[in-house]
Amino acid sequence: MNEQRKIKSNVLRKLKLLGLFCSISLVLLAQNRTVTGTVISAEDNEPLIGVTVMVKGGTIGTVTNLDGEFSITLPTDNETLIFSMVGMKTLEVNTRNRTSINVLLESDTKVLEQMVVTGYTTQKKADLTGAVSVVNVDEIKKSAENNPIKSLQGRVAGMTVSADGNPSGSASIRIRGIGTLNNNDPLLIIDGVPTKGGMHELNSNDIESIQVLKDASAASIYGSRAGNGVIIITSKQGKIGKMRVDFDAYATATSYNNPLKVLNSKEYGQAMWQAAINGGSNPNNNNIGYRFDWNYDGEDGTPVLNNMFLPKYLDADKTMYSADTDWFDEVSRTGMIQSYNLSVSNGTEKGKYFLSLGYFENEGTIKFSKFDRISARVNSDYKLLDGLLTIGENFTLNRTSEVQSPGDVLDLSLKALPMVPVHTIDGIGWGGPSKGMNDRQNPVRLITYNKDNPYQYWRTFGNAFADLEPVKDLHFRTSFGVDYGNFFKRYMQRTYKSGFLSNTVSGVNLEQSHSMKWNWTNTAAYKKSIDKHSFDVLAGMEIFRQSDISFNAYTSGENAFTVETPEYMWPGVSTGKAQVGGGKTGYSLLSYFGKANYVYDDKYLASATIRYDGSSRFGKNNRFGTFPAVSFGWRISEENFMESAKSIVSDLKLRAGWGQTGNQEIDNYATYTIFVPDYGVADPTWSIVNGTAYDITGNGSGSLPAGFRKIQSGNDDLKWETTTQTNIGIDYALFDNKLYGSAEYYVKSTKDILIRPAYLAVVGEGGDRWSNGASMENKGFEVLLGYRNATIFGLEYDVTANISGFRNKVTHLPEDVQNSYGGREGDNILGRPIGSFYGYVADGIFKTQDEVNNHVGQDGKAIGRIRYKNVYEEDGRNEINAMDQTWIGNPYPDFSYGLNINLEYRNFDLSMFFQGVQGADIVNGVKYQTDFWSVDDVNSNKGRRLLDAFHPVTNPDSDIPMLQNTNSNNEGRFSTYYVEDGSYLKVRNVQFGYTLPKSVLSKINIEKIRFYISGQNLFTIHSKNFTGVDPESPGFGYPIPMISTLGINLTF
Amino acid sequence: MKKLFKIGLIGLILIFFSACTDILNEEPTGILTTENVQNAYEGALTAAYSALGNDHYDKPLSLWPYGTVRSDDAYKGGSGEQDISTFHFFEISKNISTEFGEVDALWYQCYVSISRANSAIKAINAAENLTNKEAKIAEARFLRGHFYFLLKILFKNIPYIDETVPVADYGTISNVALSNDELWQKIADDFKYGVDHLPAKQMDRGRADKYAAAAYLAKTYLYKAYRQENSQSNEVTSINAADLNNVLTNADLVIASQYKLEYDFAFNFLPGSFENGSESIFAVQFSGDDGTKFGRVNFADLLSVPMKLGCCDFLKPSQTLVNAFRTQNGLPVFENYNTNNSGYSEQNDPRLFHTVALPGLAYKYNESLIYDVDWNRSPGTYGVYASLKENVDPTCDCFVPMVPFYANTKNRIVIRHADLLLMKAEALIELNRSAEALPIINSIRGRAKNSTDLIKYANDFIDIKLYQDGVNCNWTQDFARQALRWERRLELAMEGGRFFDLVRWGVAEQVMNEYYNTEKNRRSYYSEAKFTKNKHEYLPIPQQQIKFSKYLYKQNVGY
Repeated sequence: MNEQRKIKSNVLRKLKLLGLFCSISLVLLAQNRTVTGTVISAEDNEPLIGVTVMVKGGTIGTVTNLDGEFSITLPTDNETLIFSMVGMKTLEVNTRNRTSINVLLESDTKVLEQMVVTGYTTQKKADLTGAVSVVNVDEIKKSAENNPIKSLQGRVAGMTVSADGNPSGSASIRIRGIGTLNNNDPLLIIDGVPTKGGMHELNSNDIESIQVLKDASAASIYGSRAGNGVIIITSKQGKIGKMRVDFDAYATATSYNNPLKVLNSKEYGQAMWQAAINGGSNPNNNNIGYRFDWNYDGEDGTPVLNNMFLPKYLDADKTMYSADTDWFDEVSRTGMIQSYNLSVSNGTEKGKYFLSLGYFENEGTIKFSKFDRISARVNSDYKLLDGLLTIGENFTLNRTSEVQSPGDVLDLSLKALPMVPVHTIDGIGWGGPSKGMNDRQNPVRLITYNKDNPYQYWRTFGNAFADLEPVKDLHFRTSFGVDYGNFFKRYMQRTYKSGFLSNTVSGVNLEQSHSMKWNWTNTAAYKKSIDKHSFDVLAGMEIFRQSDISFNAYTSGENAFTVETPEYMWPGVSTGKAQVGGGKTGYSLLSYFGKANYVYDDKYLASATIRYDGSSRFGKNNRFGTFPAVSFGWRISEENFMESAKSIVSDLKLRAGWGQTGNQEIDNYATYTIFVPDYGVADPTWSIVNGTAYDITGNGSGSLPAGFRKIQSGNDDLKWETTTQTNIGIDYALFDNKLYGSAEYYVKSTKDILIRPAYLAVVGEGGDRWSNGASMENKGFEVLLGYRNATIFGLEYDVTANISGFRNKVTHLPEDVQNSYGGREGDNILGRPIGSFYGYVADGIFKTQDEVNNHVGQDGKAIGRIRYKNVYEEDGRNEINAMDQTWIGNPYPDFSYGLNINLEYRNFDLSMFFQGVQGADIVNGVKYQTDFWSVDDVNSNKGRRLLDAFHPVTNPDSDIPMLQNTNSNNEGRFSTYYVEDGSYLKVRNVQFGYTLPKSVLSKINIEKIRFYISGQNLFTIHSKNFTGVDPESPGFGYPIPMISTLGINLTF
Repeated sequence: MKKLFKIGLIGLILIFFSACTDILNEEPTGILTTENVQNAYEGALTAAYSALGNDHYDKPLSLWPYGTVRSDDAYKGGSGEQDISTFHFFEISKNISTEFGEVDALWYQCYVSISRANSAIKAINAAENLTNKEAKIAEARFLRGHFYFLLKILFKNIPYIDETVPVADYGTISNVALSNDELWQKIADDFKYGVDHLPAKQMDRGRADKYAAAAYLAKTYLYKAYRQENSQSNEVTSINAADLNNVLTNADLVIASQYKLEYDFAFNFLPGSFENGSESIFAVQFSGDDGTKFGRVNFADLLSVPMKLGCCDFLKPSQTLVNAFRTQNGLPVFENYNTNNSGYSEQNDPRLFHTVALPGLAYKYNESLIYDVDWNRSPGTYGVYASLKENVDPTCDCFVPMVPFYANTKNRIVIRHADLLLMKAEALIELNRSAEALPIINSIRGRAKNSTDLIKYANDFIDIKLYQDGVNCNWTQDFARQALRWERRLELAMEGGRFFDLVRWGVAEQVMNEYYNTEKNRRSYYSEAKFTKNKHEYLPIPQQQIKFSKYLYKQNVGY
């Protein structure tokens, strides 16, 4: 947005240049003292041209010249000068006895004059009537994040971004809660081209502005796909003026500084011994080979472990020494991010261009995981026919490549036993499980072999447009956009032996897919002002089409490849069997839309939009949907009666809007009854393949007769899902714009939610059927508050805070599935937030036999075991059973917040960003491993919390259940034991920068050099109740690293 | 110029607005629609057969966790008690939740298979100019009967839906709409239709023929005969003679057919040319090298491969089972047989060596592959035996690696002739015609006696004799019943049916608690095991299904 302000000030500068000559007449020849000086912009330290400089209370005045300099002669020694300029804050300075005054003018346009892209058109922020968040692009650049959306986490009230620490930076975005039961991703509009693809595939340095359209009155111009909100992204354009070269680079170290604490070999033995002792079994009767030296202590007969021994070799073949492997250490490393970005731009009255090249590489904190991207962009436009016709294009070409770390690598690092070595004795072979251990893979082998399986993805994205202005302010615009992706991946499956796990089948799978999306948008827009009335109207149509083709080739066999190297392993040289697959799918949208804005006297604002959308995904009868919206605004501060309060209330606007948006996120062929032949080529290893081919002849091999099966029941009545949203908001700026912000309240209700509900098993195969079933409601608020000022000694500060929250509730579900989101008859998900947790209530652990005896029937109750609450007593059964489950958690926070502090002093700048959520319940799934010896897998490694488990004699105060070999109490059942408080406050980003002074730079002909250091995710404060590592990512997702960056910004 | 331009542009836009709704007519690609499959009854029938082999190790249609692990024949195995903990809880009859995902998935899988059979029946009915319509329908009904049979022995009370019920009405049919006996009759009806309409011999060996239907009908009547007339209990209230006579009628049909006992017991459990042998009345056909990813392998039973050969060492024969093979003077030791705490006895029924892999002896008859203690994954927990019948010699092409698992393509026999003979013997004994059962049981024992060619290495440990009334036994009805039940156990051990036999006979509680009592000294995890009468005989109806039925389905007694 800064850039936009510059465009404006560029234009202003030109206007004021003219004014310079005109205003000479204002200057009276005077006999008194002359004061000279320079006026510069506080924003970018550039000289301001055309600033009016007047002596207060008089007629003497001048304007600044091309270098921002002025010279004025004062009638007396002690005059006050008034510096004013459109778009800048007026400043009064007392001259006293000075002869030289340098003035810093601050922008006044920050909020109000800013142009906001609101869908097929732009609007002044002052005239907005919908809920639109404008993102400060400079702020998001402070994070060493590949994905700009990810760095928006906590910066936009009402927008939730969740991501783990994976190197690509892919993230999921939710705007204003959970609106539907299907896809909740918002629509992205980049330079007018719609996409739901990942932003991490595009270069974030090319972004000029980001707007988040949150409410329906703002978003409904995108009707059919706007139900989850819309994010509008505009890429950079060349500026009229001189050529500008920008170079930015940074290098970042990322560290996995907080891995889960797990048992080492000795501690594992200790826990194993304790579990055996607790259960009264012989600890030496273990299958791994631990030998324990222990005895009962003389007086009270307490068992005491004196010593333990592991066999020298783990396996009978003597290939593996017993080790003490720290698997988290073995799979992780200090990551490294590098980013280089170069852009060149220029512009004349005839045309503008912007070119950029970028390279980003992130070697993640899990070994061998890597993401890199090379990107190039060309944006340009040219004016033809005396400026009547503008043609141009915005195009970017990106190649991304990624080695994705296997999803279970952290889980495996936890489960791999510490006594297993990474490698066998020869240092080449792989260590792996031996007798008595789990059947999990050596995670180091897994990631090492996986490093040769990257994907490559080419994405071309952009549009070409023509804009004809036959009469002033009437624009006919046509734009053709494409989003083309080409994905390729080779997956090599290699032979190995790793403990008792081995594989003699080698294979390779090639996978290629093409995804073509194009859209053609045609609009006509007209703008007019008559007296105090000003209005603009827009009408348009749009066609969108997506078509995806994919295929794969797989070949495998017993030692199918003579050499297993990435160079050799191509299908052509396989001696194994081959299989192929492939298919095509697509859908289209056709839309017509219109929009009208009306402003009276800058006070009363009104806006209306309508969109008529058709989608090929729906049956003929319900193909089209209509999505209207209206909104109103009242700029109270412009009223005459507010004149007197102007010094307090700089700006005040009330807004109200209502509108509808849609959602069509279903399968392309959702309305059809679908049968498929299923030969059974899918991988059956982990889930059932419901094949239809069968060896009915009893031959035992060869081609099989194949039938077909139903996979979906059709629904001709399927129609659009509709979200109706009402929003009221207030924008305010007080005390000369020092205190500013906004507040919103909304009610967002979605009906006819497209669901594919679970069904009664007797329906059998093909019972899946899309229907318009559920309704849901979100009510929420968003408050933004900022304060900016400067101290007398020149420290400028700007503090902004935001807070937001929502309450989600399911308001309707088809009767059949009301109880399948948890709950029971009469106490189900209706009226509760979707995704609420349903389970048992863990009521501490039994510490005495009396407590055990006094409790109701519970299979497996005993000292040291979890006591479950008899919640449902009405069943008349004095026992814990499935009826004793209840609602035990709400996954959505009470509120989320962000706090951003920016300080600038002379050439130094410091910014800090804090972000947090409060009151979210999370499931700490890791607890199955850290708190129990036998709940998940008795032969896997466990967390160190186990060492602090309850024991009636040695550790009676602990709340961690007693170790046991058999999970006799079924403590893996979902209960409050696993539900924890997910509140946190994180220091997301701290950045300290230094800009070299102009005096130095002018000598070397460089406009700007800035160095900075920054740190991300520096520390986290979380609830005491949380026992895991990171409440933001409580499971086994890619670890969120701590990030330290060194960077430079250069402008020529 | 400008004007022309304007008019041209507006004109273009107008044309555009009206001409492009065609783009919304998306033709679906790569799928079949209802019209495409309307007359394809053969495809629907093939798909219904295919369902026989569509299973998985945690919802296996071989029912090993429910028929074998839940009985006194085997331990669950695996890495430990938590390795598929649902099966562990069934093994010890404790902590059985109505919400176990494995149970729900098995229920679902059976109904998926039934829906395929129903679709096939509808398609065949709709087909025109089909001459052997009844025979085709009979095949589909046979398959439907098979899956309802599985559901019936697992869950007892099940919603029964046939091809005449419109899908819209499925939700109105309760699992207790039909009585226990009425449900059995429905299942019997499907097999009866097969007996009446299926050909005596099918060209395709994988198809059900008349005798497969007759054998399954006999089995159904046998279960039906043991009436459980009180809906609030699982007790056997009477044994119905008419049903037993139906067992005899149908068994005799099969006995007169081409099916007969294999020469050697082992041939039933060997791959390749041994498959679809003379004893295999109906089998699930698995195949390899058939164009699917790994072959249509037996996924249900792959977990029981010993750790040394693959993964994951589940389904471990119990010490009690090994002891049950003990013989004295060539006959079973009915009393006090279960005294050995480890290893096998000095004299055994030869079938022990075909059924259980024992340390120190050849694995799957391969004398260069000696099974040993170190093949086991968790010997401290689950002992040192492995199951042989469903496994193959790892040198066989039919042994398919599919990391981390190893499966095989050997067929799984659903009903074999020996089973049928024992059903007939059982019916005779319960009809108080025990004398007629004696030669039948002896024919089974005689075959066992002859089945030593492949296990010569165990000859020193074998001693088996036929029953001779008045010579080595007193063949009363009670003795005959005991002998029959013992014979069933030995002949069909580890084949997935033991627990259901116990429930049919009404002795599950007694047998299982005795077993727990003895075995808790051998396997410590049994110390808390307890079988509850009128509860643990059947699985709970999955809570999920009760919810989906809007509480129309009723939970089984005891849960």
